[in-house]
Amino acid sequence: MSKSTSGLRLDAGTWFMLPAALLLIAGFLVPIIIVASYSLMPERSFELSADFSVTNYETAFAEGYWLPLAWSALGAFLTTAICLLLAWPTAKALDRFAGRWATIATLLIALPIFISESVRLFGLSLFMMPGGGILAGSINGIFGVSIGTVLNTQLAALIGLVYIHFPFVLFPLLLGFSQLPRDQVDAARDLGASPLQIFREIEVPLTAPGATIGVLLCFVLSLGANAEMSILGGQAVTVIARAIEQRFNYAQDWPLGAALTMLVIVLTALIVLPLLKRIDLDKLIQR
Amino acid sequence: MSRSRKGVTITLQKAWLILVVTLLYVPIASVVLASLSDTRYMQFPHEVWTIEPYRQALASYTTITLHLTSFRIAFVVVLFSVIIATCSALAFARYEWRGRSLFRRLILLPIFFPQPVLGLALLLYFSALGITPDWRTAAFAHLIWIVPIVTLVISIRLYNYDVAQEEAAFDLGASRWQAFREVTLPVLLPGIVSGALFGFLMSWSNLPLSVFTSGADTTLPEWLFSRTATNYSPLVPAVAVIATAISGVVILIVGVAWKLATPQPTATE
Repeated sequence: MSKSTSGLRLDAGTWFMLPAALLLIAGFLVPIIIVASYSLMPERSFELSADFSVTNYETAFAEGYWLPLAWSALGAFLTTAICLLLAWPTAKALDRFAGRWATIATLLIALPIFISESVRLFGLSLFMMPGGGILAGSINGIFGVSIGTVLNTQLAALIGLVYIHFPFVLFPLLLGFSQLPRDQVDAARDLGASPLQIFREIEVPLTAPGATIGVLLCFVLSLGANAEMSILGGQAVTVIARAIEQRFNYAQDWPLGAALTMLVIVLTALIVLPLLKRIDLDKLIQR
Repeated sequence: MSRSRKGVTITLQKAWLILVVTLLYVPIASVVLASLSDTRYMQFPHEVWTIEPYRQALASYTTITLHLTSFRIAFVVVLFSVIIATCSALAFARYEWRGRSLFRRLILLPIFFPQPVLGLALLLYFSALGITPDWRTAAFAHLIWIVPIVTLVISIRLYNYDVAQEEAAFDLGASRWQAFREVTLPVLLPGIVSGALFGFLMSWSNLPLSVFTSGADTTLPEWLFSRTATNYSPLVPAVAVIATAISGVVILIVGVAWKLATPQPTATE
């Protein structure tokens, strides 16, 4: 439908993409190149020179910086898996009750995305706080029982990660479900397909593009997550974003910080680029 | 038998949705509950319920400065992102041109990028260029992430756009600018309005980019972040509620203004 190639407008697209392209070159591509260059500089240098070496990457591994990266990757993996498990039945239910009711539920789930992470995580910590926290205080007030807390542990940080990233999995998945031909599911059921068969042979393959986008977003965003560990995890472990920040700000070691940044960027690119290449945007957006 | 099983499934699904929505709002309700006390330490249930922290928050110079900084950033972000993203949405969804499919993938990359890492990379970049970070660098950082999102929001609108309308305008003797203003722009407008709204809300609430790129200036989410770790007082949840309420008010104003501006509600996809 949107296919029209008259010679007159062939280049209009090129003009219109320029502002965004310039912005992203100046604010995304060049910064990454600068970071990459700094990662190859000698220790603690503040200027770029022709003195390239990979010492920072060696130091990063020798000094155990793979550990923060491993914690972040583990956190991102668990967050993505849990979010997917929670989002699947939610998307299915929202798709089933299409109508006013489901629209209200969808809106209610979407709204918190626009509330600052710091507010939501702060709320979670107030809820989990021991003694006079919202949960512990209420239980103590009603039942007279004191309960412990998970605050300041990795588990609390994981709860925060799931809480923040859940919508990023849910909405792309919901988009996938909305394109699921309902008559196909009904036909399969009439022909005697079990729920497991419907799940495996219809729902999973047909919602896969939406699910992939959700999983990608969730993994990548939680890979860099920092606030969850600060506010809820009590810095129980050091995550990669925190390790980079320490190198940049406190240790004043730009090259090592840059090397750690590059490790995250490469890991992200390895996951995002191959999958993003395969997704057909037109099909996903066009209803 | 099968009918009653279906009934059970529906009930379970409804219960699940109610549970999910409730859990999502528990932390937000917690902030509101915590703000209604004036004790130095959090001790729930409060002995005295009061709105004193709100009075303090509204009278405090710090709070006002924080709001102004966040607002300034969000304003600049909305202005620039709407202009840039309207153009890129046309390139994304309206015109056929060589390199379009590549452009469509590249512009998505900042969305699929860990935000704190982007913030840190930009921090190094600004330092290397000798730029002292302040609210303007934070606005720049926001744009890198928000322009692609607003582009998508406006593009979705363009997917249902019929090119023939614009061509008809040309045939009737309209100039390029007239055709754009009279035909294309009205189609784009809902997308632009929701794009602007998205841009404002995302900038207003952003923590991971601001925290590394705003230098000496402090935004609301940053201040809340630093005060949750140390120096708790009921002022903190009160400011959090006020900041969130402002988002709500902005959504309402845009919604109402849109309703008033469009005589009959058209179906917006």
